[in-house]
Amino acid sequence: MTECPECAARVDHHDKILGEVFPCRDCGTELEVAATEPFSVQPAPREAEDWGE
Amino acid sequence: MNVAIVGGSGYTGGELLRILLGHPQVEVRQVTSEAMAGKPVWRAHPNLRKATSLAFVARSALQPADVTFLATPHGGSVPLVPSLLRDGGTVIDLSADYRLKDPTRYREYYGFDHPHPELLQESVLGLPELHREAIRGARLVAVPGCIATAAILALAPLARAGVIDARRVVVDAKSGSSASGQDPGRAGLHAERSGVMRAYAPAGHRHTAEIEQETGARVALSCHAVEAVRGVLATVHAFATRPIDEKELWRTYRAAYGSEPFVRLVHETDGIHREPEPKILAGTNYCDLGFAADAHAERIVSLAAIDNLGKGAAGNAVQCLNVRAGFPESAGLGFLGLHPA
Repeated sequence: MTECPECAARVDHHDKILGEVFPCRDCGTELEVAATEPFSVQPAPREAEDWGE
Repeated sequence: MNVAIVGGSGYTGGELLRILLGHPQVEVRQVTSEAMAGKPVWRAHPNLRKATSLAFVARSALQPADVTFLATPHGGSVPLVPSLLRDGGTVIDLSADYRLKDPTRYREYYGFDHPHPELLQESVLGLPELHREAIRGARLVAVPGCIATAAILALAPLARAGVIDARRVVVDAKSGSSASGQDPGRAGLHAERSGVMRAYAPAGHRHTAEIEQETGARVALSCHAVEAVRGVLATVHAFATRPIDEKELWRTYRAAYGSEPFVRLVHETDGIHREPEPKILAGTNYCDLGFAADAHAERIVSLAAIDNLGKGAAGNAVQCLNVRAGFPESAGLGFLGLHPA
């Protein structure tokens, strides 16, 4: 178990594999598994968006 | 459980009826309307065609019920509540008449001296997220106003956590036209309302008193009418007393609402619906709640979106009924909204 680097929500290991990308259940941030032992995640790279608003 | 609705021909009454007709543990026995007595309820609420054979009755024909909902204009509930309580049922009042504990605030904001200050002390504000245990034992539940509901849900966790300057809070609210009810006057004419972005109460809005009562903050509230039929978006601007980041905001709001069935935290980093917006909440009882930390201005921005007729009135009233009666809290309130809408 670790926490989301964006919102601090609990993130469980389950059967995730190194490099797997999945959304945080609370803030929706795409997370990438950075390590499995110990389990850690980081925000997945994403394209910048210009909302123009 | 049998229930009655007083003042059922307005928008709030119609929304109550729509929800309660689908409630698995409730039978609606009577719906009153002076102007429409004798007419089928679907004459006022055409979405209810074929859903019920109920017709409006005059208030003089009202019978005691297990629970009576009052969807009356402000001032209309004041004389009704004492006799309904004497009949022994529970009263869930959607008007402003029993929301405020301090009777002097009725003179200040509503222009009359409240004749039943003892009932103001007894009434419980109908916001389960803040008063669930008190609602369970209440005879009189006073459902907060739509703008107040949104603002209180956004602001209360920050005020309780002591991370903001409670003497300096700004609430900017936008609301749809149904919040004005069925008799908004000339301001509601299509020619006046269409395309509108109107500050109708830049200061002095009545809901200020409710927000202050429930949060302990001094609130500067400005209200705007926008191009929508349903919906309230309340943007709270509060100033932090110490540096605070978004992780701490997540923790603060998660601690307040993490187990709430009708509050969803919405502050996402991807997609087109990153922050709360009322449009997708029409017909639901949800409050979507978002936030941002503005380090530059030492400001916390908190956003609450609701359907003014849903979580802002009828949906919340039914949630209070469920709490009071010991029903599952989401009974009758399972609608998830429409997208696109």
